[in-house]
Amino acid sequence: MASGNTLCRFHPAAYEPAATNFPVPGVRNNHPTLDFDPITQQTCYFTDVLPKAYSGGGLTLRVRWMAASATSGDCVWLSAIERIDAGTLDTDADSFASDQTVTTTTNGASGISVESVMTFTSGAAMDSLAAGETFRLRLERDADVGGDSMTGNAQLVSAVLEET
Amino acid sequence: MAALSNADRALVVQLIMRNHDQRSLPCGITKAELRAAVNAADDWADTNAGAYNTALPLPARTTLSAAQKGFLLAYVVVRRAGG
Repeated sequence: MASGNTLCRFHPAAYEPAATNFPVPGVRNNHPTLDFDPITQQTCYFTDVLPKAYSGGGLTLRVRWMAASATSGDCVWLSAIERIDAGTLDTDADSFASDQTVTTTTNGASGISVESVMTFTSGAAMDSLAAGETFRLRLERDADVGGDSMTGNAQLVSAVLEET
Repeated sequence: MAALSNADRALVVQLIMRNHDQRSLPCGITKAELRAAVNAADDWADTNAGAYNTALPLPARTTLSAAQKGFLLAYVVVRRAGG
């Protein structure tokens, strides 16, 4: 795959909630969203398979979201990858690589989405995930960190993994 | 009636943000700035509680409980704000 090509797509309806403190599905003018709280850090997962066409250049995650009501302030996102390599990983315990993080200022109009970008360099940062392997993507709003200043929910619209 | 505790002020902030989201009310200030506004509103209410009580006519002033007087003011203010 060439740099910038889409590898995986994640839709709000396909999310897997954490056991506690998870975002909740919402709707905005008939657009499905996944709503992340402004106070409590909430976690969700997405499971997919990295296409065999992946060339090994690392991954870029683009998170598209909008503020439920805020017209100013910053939102802090965290993401991490867990490689589920057949014959090796015991899924009874989590095994995520380190979090990547990004802080993004919301749009001046709450219904207009913005994009937050996080990159995973090839290797340990993406849990050494290889083409054709199953993986989980963990996505969180780091709502309880000082840099997350935006009031109200952050509404996930979609997320995309690209070849870096 | 004493000023709100830190936990109660934090709860008020959460409730206000939820109200903004549910009613799609644009909010142009940050979480910290909203908390400062809540603190100031609570401090003002605490400072002026006596004056509010004095403004109430009898027999309401001496018959209603502090909680009832609080709800009375809250309903009036919410209605004035379009709620």
